[in-house]
Amino acid sequence: MILRTVLVVDDEWAIAEVLEDILSDEGFRVVVANNGRQGLERALAEKPDLILLDFMMPVLDGPGMLAALAEDERVSGTRVILMSSLPEATVRERCSGYAAFLRKPFLIDDVLATIQNIVTS
Amino acid sequence: MNETTMQRTPTTIPGLDRLLGGGVFRGGIYIVQGAPGSGKTILANQLCFGHAAAGGRALYVTLLAESHSRMIGHLENLAFFDRAAIPDRVTYLSAFRTLEDDGLKGLVDMLRREIRSKRISLLVLDGLVSAEETATSPRELKKFIHELQTQAGLTDCTMFLLTSAYMGQRMVSAEHTMVDGLVELQSSTYGRQSERELQIHKFRGGAMIRGLHSYVICDNGIEVYPRTEALYAKPSRAETADGPTVSIGIPVLDGMMGGGPSVHSTTLLLGPAGIGKSTVGLQFLGHTDEPGLYFSFNESPQSVLVKAKGLKLPVAQRIKDGQVRVHWQPVTEAVVDAVCDRLLRTVEQNGIRRLFIDGVDGFAKLSTDTTRIGPLLTALSNELRARSVTTLSTAEMDLAGIVPGQPLAGMAVRDMSPVADNIIVMRYVGAHSHLHRLVAALKVREGRTSMEFRRFRLEPGGLHIEADAAVAERLLRGLEERPEEAQALQSAPHIPDHLGRGE
Repeated sequence: MILRTVLVVDDEWAIAEVLEDILSDEGFRVVVANNGRQGLERALAEKPDLILLDFMMPVLDGPGMLAALAEDERVSGTRVILMSSLPEATVRERCSGYAAFLRKPFLIDDVLATIQNIVTS
Repeated sequence: MNETTMQRTPTTIPGLDRLLGGGVFRGGIYIVQGAPGSGKTILANQLCFGHAAAGGRALYVTLLAESHSRMIGHLENLAFFDRAAIPDRVTYLSAFRTLEDDGLKGLVDMLRREIRSKRISLLVLDGLVSAEETATSPRELKKFIHELQTQAGLTDCTMFLLTSAYMGQRMVSAEHTMVDGLVELQSSTYGRQSERELQIHKFRGGAMIRGLHSYVICDNGIEVYPRTEALYAKPSRAETADGPTVSIGIPVLDGMMGGGPSVHSTTLLLGPAGIGKSTVGLQFLGHTDEPGLYFSFNESPQSVLVKAKGLKLPVAQRIKDGQVRVHWQPVTEAVVDAVCDRLLRTVEQNGIRRLFIDGVDGFAKLSTDTTRIGPLLTALSNELRARSVTTLSTAEMDLAGIVPGQPLAGMAVRDMSPVADNIIVMRYVGAHSHLHRLVAALKVREGRTSMEFRRFRLEPGGLHIEADAAVAERLLRGLEERPEEAQALQSAPHIPDHLGRGE
């Protein structure tokens, strides 16, 4: 799997911005959205190879966007890394269909390693 | 922040980690604030070299147009400085031009790339005020701090931002509210003496010791001395139960105290100059095999040894053999908490079990805030007790004699209970142009005191205390019969030594 475009969806602008900068440094094309609805629009428009998706967001949250992605065959195959400060067990009760989970706060090395795992799998 | 999941990184600044409960949090962002000359640059460089020595990598970024070689030149004589650590483990970079040309966004980008490429785990950003001046609005500065904070967390890099902004100017600014901690360095003047003080205003995620704490800048760099009464608000370890009594080194005095002071107790010896207080201390340290410490605010080690030899006391040999150490702290100018720290470290490092503090009022004389002395001495006494030390301290009282019917009149013994388990009082009494020395055990735990005065003499071998109170009683009865003599003695002027204190 070759990753070119990554969509970062997070209402915490600083996290979105720093992830954008760091992933750009790593050679990815990065697109940013600040809530699930905006994220869905960007996903349909940009067709990203990977989505970094925050769990709790205004307008449309992470589980809502995941469900919407699953229902739309144009983007239903997109790999999603879900990010949350909640434990994964709590997150799993609310949604499914994501490829990997990152517990906040995380290190950028963890993000890159998770992306690498998805690429190699 | 979650204390259980966040890891600490020690600052390696002596004393500072004790205030912070073990260090700052990794990936946190902290402001160090202080006026020019307060030691921010030294503190920050000490952080870098300490971090590098522990295996980390530090980056020191200056935002001001100043020369790194000049700064390094000023650091070279400090003990923490290690030229070999530069540039691989401690790197210096100037971001002055980046900030000028590319603004805060350019600075953030530069820091991110340097942190990642050099695997930096500690960053110092010196000159936050320049970033503040570059920001076109408070919102932009806030955004800059927030981005730094996020970067710190994502890269596990602990950040320190240095600013010379004066705390009083803007108590609540964006950067203060956003960062994880705020440390202020300041200097206060007491009379003509000035003291450096450190205060932690904010520390997210952990407990800290609040209030002002002294620090010094010395050859080792910065050393912080937490307020003794705050650091030992509770003793650092559980106090061992009272054991049997120990000998004070003078059998008759032991008898007057119901067998002697309890082991690990504190005893206060009150008396005027020249009456023999320090001789009791020498006997206390001399008759046992336990490691001892003579902590003197009055006499130098040489004077103590000369006195011990002159009185033919066995402690002289113990001092020569190193079994009894003599430390001298002149009552000139020193940080009182540094003195307490030195005392407790000496006790710990040498397994001291018997401690004699000659002139416990020396702590008050060194303190810039005498309202602290009660709590400070209480904390110190409790800590010594917890460290299994049996302590004897002296405090000087005036030369006034005994008032008929009120032999303890004029003696300040209020508020001494927390400091002293036992109190021994030594006094002069005059009769027929001759001064006599008297001693009484005023307070002893469990009330084991004989509650009577005894006459004593100072002679080779130490104090010779009479076996009963007969002579003391005759002397005191004589005073009652000649109240005018007693009155004259009571109003006799205080006779200090050439420094106004001591025996």
